[in-house]
Amino acid sequence: MTNMLRKILLMARRDYLESVRTKAFIIGLVVAPILFGGGIFGVALMKKKPDLRDKRIAVLDRTGVVAGLLAQAAAEKNAKEAYDKVTHAQTAALYVLEAVAPAPGDPEEQRLALSNRVRSRELFAFLEIWPQALHPGQEIKAPARTVGYYTNAGGIDTTRNWLRDPLNRAVRSVQLAQLGVQGSHFEDLLTPVAIDPLSLLARDAKTGALQQAKKKDEVAEFVAPFGMVMLLTMIVMVGTAPMLSAVTEDKNQRIFEMLLGLATPMELMAARVLAALGRSLTSSAFYIVGALLVLEGMAMMGSVPLYLLPWFFVYLVADVIMLSSFAAALGAACNSPQDAQNLAVVLVAPIMIPFFVMMPVMTAPNGAMATVMSLFPPFTPVVMLLRQCMPMGVPAWQPWVGLAGVLVWTVGGTWVAARIFRVGILMQGQPPKLSEIVRWAWAG
Amino acid sequence: MPAVELDRVTKTFGEVTAVDDLSLGVPEGSVFGFIGPNGSGKTTTIRMIVNIFYPDRGQIRVLGDVMSPARNHLLGYLPEERGLYRKMHVRPLLEFFGELRGGRKVGREVAGWLARLDLAQCANRRVDTLSKGMSQRVQFIAAVVPEPKLLILDEPFTGLDPVSADVLREAILDLRRRGATVILSTHDMTVAETMCDHICMIFRGKKVLDGTLASIQDQYSNDTIRVAVGGGLAMLDDLPGVEKVRDLGQVQELRMALGCDPHQVLRALVERTRVTSFSIAKPSLHDIFVRIAGPAAEEEVGVD
Repeated sequence: MTNMLRKILLMARRDYLESVRTKAFIIGLVVAPILFGGGIFGVALMKKKPDLRDKRIAVLDRTGVVAGLLAQAAAEKNAKEAYDKVTHAQTAALYVLEAVAPAPGDPEEQRLALSNRVRSRELFAFLEIWPQALHPGQEIKAPARTVGYYTNAGGIDTTRNWLRDPLNRAVRSVQLAQLGVQGSHFEDLLTPVAIDPLSLLARDAKTGALQQAKKKDEVAEFVAPFGMVMLLTMIVMVGTAPMLSAVTEDKNQRIFEMLLGLATPMELMAARVLAALGRSLTSSAFYIVGALLVLEGMAMMGSVPLYLLPWFFVYLVADVIMLSSFAAALGAACNSPQDAQNLAVVLVAPIMIPFFVMMPVMTAPNGAMATVMSLFPPFTPVVMLLRQCMPMGVPAWQPWVGLAGVLVWTVGGTWVAARIFRVGILMQGQPPKLSEIVRWAWAG
Repeated sequence: MPAVELDRVTKTFGEVTAVDDLSLGVPEGSVFGFIGPNGSGKTTTIRMIVNIFYPDRGQIRVLGDVMSPARNHLLGYLPEERGLYRKMHVRPLLEFFGELRGGRKVGREVAGWLARLDLAQCANRRVDTLSKGMSQRVQFIAAVVPEPKLLILDEPFTGLDPVSADVLREAILDLRRRGATVILSTHDMTVAETMCDHICMIFRGKKVLDGTLASIQDQYSNDTIRVAVGGGLAMLDDLPGVEKVRDLGQVQELRMALGCDPHQVLRALVERTRVTSFSIAKPSLHDIFVRIAGPAAEEEVGVD
């Protein structure tokens, strides 16, 4: 082993051990899964303890024919879904629909009175159905309100979501009856046609046997890429974020001059980066093993793209090296923890920006934006991995080109960062201007 | 062969020339005093010797070879800006620094030095619980384990009580006796006079003094008189032939004008007051320093 490598490993070991023994690291390691797991547990708990209070909905039906059908649909839903089939105990809130006849006089007064009943919690909501609701297609040229749903319920309103289907069925039933269709045909005519998501068929190259299409789990197809990218982001952050303040702290404690008598700035930075990598791999081992055990327990192992794990680790290593060398340079340029805190947002940008565009990328994984972003080196690890996790995958050349870009960017970025680090760690006093940092990078 | 040899070394930072065409040789096995006012270029020179900064021009040879990172293990360095990992415990910290330099385990040497510098009871304490003096002794051990061939100490006695300073002084001289070369940067002229075999002063990046204490003092002739008189400083106004008076408290130091006869000064003093002590001396290093750099001129009383 060369003298240089020996020094790097020795310093990296010290930095690694000192950082993983801190309360912050241990708490972060344990708290993050608890927060995520706690969220899932909370949702499960809420499902176990549903709100059983009746959901009373007034129906102000100006058509005169829809309210009755809606009440019938509510009664069917209550009978079918609100009680446990074995114990007959109530498991969900009952929908209670109250038909309200249109009052003579000012309709706004009636709406206000119903609104006040909602405010006083006597009603959950009220529905106003105009006659145009029976012929919504005829109102396209001159839009008019067909159905109004008045409520002060916020967030995701499952009641409105439920109402959509019985209301449309009721309207279609009335229309079909007006067209003279017999009621016995209604169920057949109104039941929507489901589209089953299926995987592609394939022929086994060895046996020649045909592999049938399997029904796809859409939830798993969303969770797998989202989870993998989330994991990558979390691990990279755990590994690199402490670097910025640690370098500034060591600089303030005047440790670097002592170390520079024993090692070169490049060796110092390499050790720091290696320690960050060690931190990330430690947390990744912890999280991945934990995640796999949970998935195994939930019999969801099949939905995890395990074949992408090598790419996951390649991107993880590249991202940690890129960001931790960047963090070391930024930390060396800072003169106080406050400076470091202010620059933290710059450090996390390369990992947070791709995180924010996850949804557009998942919607169009091979679109122009997703492709360009995945080939831009600072974003490649997160965006390319996300695209690779999607069922349709990416053209085979793209991960390799992306990786080449990341390697070039990492080497170049680390070289520049090392030059800034070398000068910055001995600089005291006023924080340097951007022009000075550029000069350090240029002149070394 | 000099342990350290600087050959026309220059280092600039932007518009500022910190070290200007500096040449010097540090004799092997000596304690080499490196003095100069603040901002004169001492620390920059030391950082170049240690290979933290690279000279813009000129060459530095350390222990016979051009300085490179591969030779760091020969060199112990105690920087002026003290810094230790505050959350580490003393013994592992020292073992880390020792192994980093020496490339081998140094547990036994660390234990020996801790005992020698009266720190054995602190071995398992965290650095941030130590007093300033203790931290300074710990940092000194970090610079000398394993034993270096060249030891560079930047203001090693700052902040130490007299007992600790004596322990450290004895340790430094012992290292020298065992063959190490010591470069000692200091503002304490008494330390430089009493400990150093060779002294070099730089001022505004240039070398202004270089040699043994005696040879430096010889350059300034016997123009200094130390007196102790009844009435003290007030009795020394307007003494004929005296250029400057420096008050040392119980004693005053008079610098004579060129060609002045010290007997004439003695006669003038006896006529004014009772003289309890009168000696003709070579100028002290402090005096020489002040003559060159002049920052303490406010403390001196000018006499026509």
